[in-house]
This record gives sequence, C-alpha cells and structure tokens, in this order.
Amino acid sequence: MPWSVKYKPKNLKEFVNQFKALETFLKWIKNWKPGSKALLFHGPPGVGKTALMEAFSGEKKLEFIEMNASDARSASQIEKVLGQSTLQRPLFKKTKIFLIDEIDGLAGRADMGGPKTIIKILKETRYPIVLVANNPWDPKLRSIRNYCILVQFTKISVWDIEKRLSQICENEKIKADKEVLRQLAKSAKGDLRSAINDLEIVSQGRKRIEPKDLDVLSYREKEVSIFDVLKAIFKTKNALAAKLSINNVDKDPDEIFWWIENNIAREYEDPEEIAKAYGALSKADIFKKRISSRQNWRFKAYMIDMMTAGVALAKKEMYRKFTRYQYPSKIIVLGITKRQRKEEREMLQKLSKQLHCSERKVRKEFLPFFKIMIRDKVMRNQIESSFNLTKDDTSILR
Amino acid sequence: MLELAVWAEKYRPKKLSEVINQNHVAERVKAFVKEKNIPHMLFAGPAGVGKTTIALALSNELFGKNWRQSILETNASDERGIQIVRGKIKDFARTKSISGVPFKIVILDEADNLTKDAQQALRRTMETFTHTARFILICNWSSKIIEPIQSRTAIFRFRALSEGDVKKFIERIVKGEKLKISEDAKNAIIHLSEGDLRKVANLLQASASLGKKITEKVVYDVSSQAKPTDVKKMLELSLGGKFEDSRKMLQDMILKKGLSGEDIIKTIHRQIYSLNIPEEMKIQLIEKTGEYEYRLSEGSSELIQLEALLTQFLLFGKKLSE
Repeated sequence: MPWSVKYKPKNLKEFVNQFKALETFLKWIKNWKPGSKALLFHGPPGVGKTALMEAFSGEKKLEFIEMNASDARSASQIEKVLGQSTLQRPLFKKTKIFLIDEIDGLAGRADMGGPKTIIKILKETRYPIVLVANNPWDPKLRSIRNYCILVQFTKISVWDIEKRLSQICENEKIKADKEVLRQLAKSAKGDLRSAINDLEIVSQGRKRIEPKDLDVLSYREKEVSIFDVLKAIFKTKNALAAKLSINNVDKDPDEIFWWIENNIAREYEDPEEIAKAYGALSKADIFKKRISSRQNWRFKAYMIDMMTAGVALAKKEMYRKFTRYQYPSKIIVLGITKRQRKEEREMLQKLSKQLHCSERKVRKEFLPFFKIMIRDKVMRNQIESSFNLTKDDTSILR
Repeated sequence: MLELAVWAEKYRPKKLSEVINQNHVAERVKAFVKEKNIPHMLFAGPAGVGKTTIALALSNELFGKNWRQSILETNASDERGIQIVRGKIKDFARTKSISGVPFKIVILDEADNLTKDAQQALRRTMETFTHTARFILICNWSSKIIEPIQSRTAIFRFRALSEGDVKKFIERIVKGEKLKISEDAKNAIIHLSEGDLRKVANLLQASASLGKKITEKVVYDVSSQAKPTDVKKMLELSLGGKFEDSRKMLQDMILKKGLSGEDIIKTIHRQIYSLNIPEEMKIQLIEKTGEYEYRLSEGSSELIQLEALLTQFLLFGKKLSE
C-alpha cells in the first residue's frame, strides 16, 4: 500500500489539520436534516478534503460513498448513480454520507443538465452530501452555490508537514536528518500527500536518508509537479501508487500521457521493458478512443490505469539512477512547425481542389513527383502559375 | 479554363467516351445522362482507373457549361467525421438546383474512409434529399460501405487496367507532349504504375523534366527518388537497438512531413520483406504490423500506435543479438 494511503487519518483524532474546516463540518453534520444546505469544500490538492470525510466516516462507522468526475459525466448518469442512493437506506451501516468530487467538471456540462440534476439531488437527499470543487467561484457553479455552505481548506504549514513526515519515519523505522524532512516539507508547497509520496520514493530500500538522497527530487521548481508524477511512475512497482500519482498534478491526462511517452526510453533500458511500456501506452490510447466513440467517460479510468500502472509495471527492477526527464518532444515539434504546417496545409488545399483528390492523396501521390518536376525551371513556372502558387509554396516542396 | 500544367489533370478525359476501358460503366452512365435522371451510385475499384474521371465527365455532360455550380466535390480522407455529412453535404443538398436538371450531384470521394457513424448519417441524408440531390460515392472497396447504403445505390465495379490499356494512355501523352521515349522506358512505366493512370502521368512528367529523352534508367531513377526510403531506415534503427533515433524519424514523418499513419504502416508492411532478418521473424513482425494497422483503422492515435509497433522491432532486434 502506498504511504499516502497507509497514513491517511483513520479517525478524527488523527486528523490534525484544517481546524476551521473541521469545526464547520462537525457543526453542520450534527444539525443536518433533509432540506439542510450541503457543504462545498474547496482548496488545493493534498490538504485533506477527502481525508476529513474518510476519517469522520471511519470513526462513526458510516457508509461513505464517493463519486468523482471520472465515474459519471452526464446528468442521466449522475441521476442513476446518486439519485436512488441518496434516497435509499444504507445496506449494512446505520447511515451514510456522500462526497462528490470535481463538481466543476460535472457542472461544466450544462448542456447535459449537470447543475440542474445536482441541485435536484441536493434538495431531495435524505443523507448529507459534501461537494468538492477546485474553483468554487466558477460562474458555472453559481446556481449550485445557493444550496451550499462554502468551506475553505488551506495549505498545510511546513511545520505540520514536517511533523507528519517524522511520525511516518518513526513508524517505518527510518532514520532521517531533520534537514531532509524540512526540505521535503518545503518543496511540497502545502500539499501533504505529495510530501508523503516524496518521502516514500526517497526512502525506498533505505534505512537512513541523508540530504544527498534528495538529488532524485531536485527538479526545476516550475514543473515540479509533473516531474513528481514521472518519478512516481518510473520508480515504483506498486500499481496503485502509480495510478494515484497523477491525482496530484494540475495537468490534463492527455498531456501527462505524452510526458510519460517521451521518457520511457530515457528511464528503461531493456528492450523488453520498453516494448511492454509502449504496449501499455498503446492500450491506454485504445481506451481513449473508446471514450470518444462511446461517449462513455468510464473508460477514462482504464486509460489512466494503463498509462500509469501499466508503464510502471513494465520494468523488472527499479532503476537506481537519476534520469533527467524531458518535456514531450511531440508537443515541442508541433509548436515549432505550427506555421510551416499551416502554410503547407493551405498549399495542399489549393492543389487538392484542382487535382480532384484528397489532400492526403496529393501528399502521397503527387508531391514526391512534384519535387522532381520543380527542379526544371520551365515546369516549375508552369506549375506555379497554373495552381496559383507562390515561390514560397513551391519552396516548401524542396 | 486554364490548361493545367500537371499531366495527370491535363490528360484526364473530359468526355465519357474518352475514358479507357470502362465502357461497361460509361455506356450505362451515358443512358442516364440522356434521360437526365441518375440514381445514387457507388463506384468501386482500384486507384487511377477512372472513377473520379467518370463522375466529373458525367456531371459535365449532364449540366453543361456551368456544371461546377451544380456539383459538390468532397472527400472523406481529409474530413472523415460525421461533421461533413451534417454540415457541408446537407447544406448543399437541401437547396434546389438552378440548372435545367432537377437535382444536384454530390461526389463523395474516398468514401471508404468515412466512419460507420458518418455513413449512418449519410444514409439518412441520401434519403431525405433524394428529390434535390443525387450522390456518387467513390471507394476502393465497396465492402467498407455499410449494407444499407449499398442497397440504396447502383453499384459499378471498375476494372483493373491491362498493360495494353496503360500503353494506350502513355501514347496519348507522348503524342500530346511530343516526347521522345524508348520502348524499354514505356515498359518500365507500365510495370511501375501497376495499372494506375495517375501514376503513369506523374512518372512520365517527372521523367520528362529530367531531360530530352526518356530512357528506362530515367524512369527507374524517378521512381526510386519518389519512394519513401526513410521507412526502411527507421525499421533498421529499431532492430539495431537505436529506438530513440528510430522514434525521432517517425515523429518527423508524422508531425513534420504530415504523412498519414496508414500510409506509413502500409510501407512498413512492404519493407519487412527486404529486411535482413530470419524469414520466420518476418512473418511474426507482419502479424504484429497487421494488428497495429487494425488499431489505426479503428481510429487510434497514429503516433503512439506506430511507436508501439517500433518497439516490437526493437524487441526482435534484441532476440537476434542474443
């Protein structure tokens, strides 16, 4: 089990931060009855929004039902998953409590009736519901806000993070310099979960960690989060840890996909591992296609599993080396060649129309021959004038 | 109209009667023109044998001078989604024809590239606008067109052209351009073109651009220059363990040169035979290639699927060196 899961607070006693949020929550839950407002949690990642709910339901032995944007996207799906459940009695426990994560993602699909459905559920529910949003002030959430009490979660202080890390070290019987823990706590920037992930990676297979072991973490400040993800995926052999790694990063899974792709052959050296990792990525891509062709967001979960855990598990052993992870070349190349591709596209469109075939066919069946023809000056002039091409157009061909 | 400088276009027959060896189609189409009534049609057959040519000549003879205003030419390779059916085609089809003919014509080229969803949408459009528009769908394989569309169209199968047919076309251009060409060179063109008249015209014109007399050597030179040699080198790099270099070549082909994944994978398929690896391994790699081509045809991302295919070559290269 990854430490970020293992060391989640199991009860309210262990939940030692976010006192203000905790206080609001406890008061709300105590007085809650059908018709009361819902809570809307907001704040940066890794500061305890879900953890609070888990700790509370763990302590009170409630049924805790969590749903996030990758489970359902359309109004009918939300209705299906939540509508019934918020009205029915729990099966085994005495009562239940709901958490709907990434509410801004759901509400964004206004055309599919997202906000309306959510409000309907908030009005009718017989059990308390907590919503989580990245940005609660998003105009899309205006109508939903009327039915909620906002609860802010703040970044966790360096000191609190350091304290938590040192407890974990104690429990794992790892000796760590104070300086090391301070550094880890600082670079986490208020995100306790990523600090715990970092600690786990740094201390992998060691009984003692020193400042020099932090080299593996010393990446450029600006991109710190995506490099964390890569490091987590490439250095772990734990499927769940790899999968969870991307929760911490403020990047689209499609972009993360290309970050992973670009660094597989930098990290892995054995062709078998490389082939296995690319095999996993290509499967992720198939699930990506299925999301769009079936309009079913459920497949996103499999796409993410394959591109994270699938790639992580492709290696035989963790490489104990420093890899300088790089920015995706695909994105760089597309950026550099943007203008050129646009010009070429325009030229192809002209040709395609007059040659009565697709741009693809022009490119494949005419351009290779044109390249030879335009070396002859007379033919070049003829081609330019009859297709209305400029000198620039034909120079692309050369 | 401006005489086109590209011979493939310049020597495209303008009249139905000039089309080489597709009389079985041309004759029936002529009858439609005479009655000023055509059904929806599906033209199927290999590349460069006259499918688009007959569709254009038919429109020309049917509508006369201003024929271009009465037809919509579009193709499913560049815009293969459902969007062109919903947008462009519907907009064109729903307005009435201003010519003496009561309908307009939509020519949808490379229709086998339309997704199944787009084909379903197309089927409804064809029915809804039958009174104002007729469709001519053009494809290489009619089996890639869904049954309901097939059953609503008159299907014409175009013949592959014989050597004699190709020669006839060569002579037409040679005469028109007053070219000097050896018999060997003609045979070389017949051999290389594989019955595709578009390729014949391009080979001839590129060869002619290189000098006064076209010889067999010139033709083969042109042909090899126009062939993608990168693909083989890319495969060899992966086999030799240089995956990063190989991957970079692939990215260049797709992202910079804009080649389509399907064209690249078809070339990979052909090039496997010329690789210096055990025969047994060739067939295993071909099977892998087929699997990845299938994924591409299902609409997966070209770059990532081809990269994954390259890692298979990398893997086989490792086995070889052991």
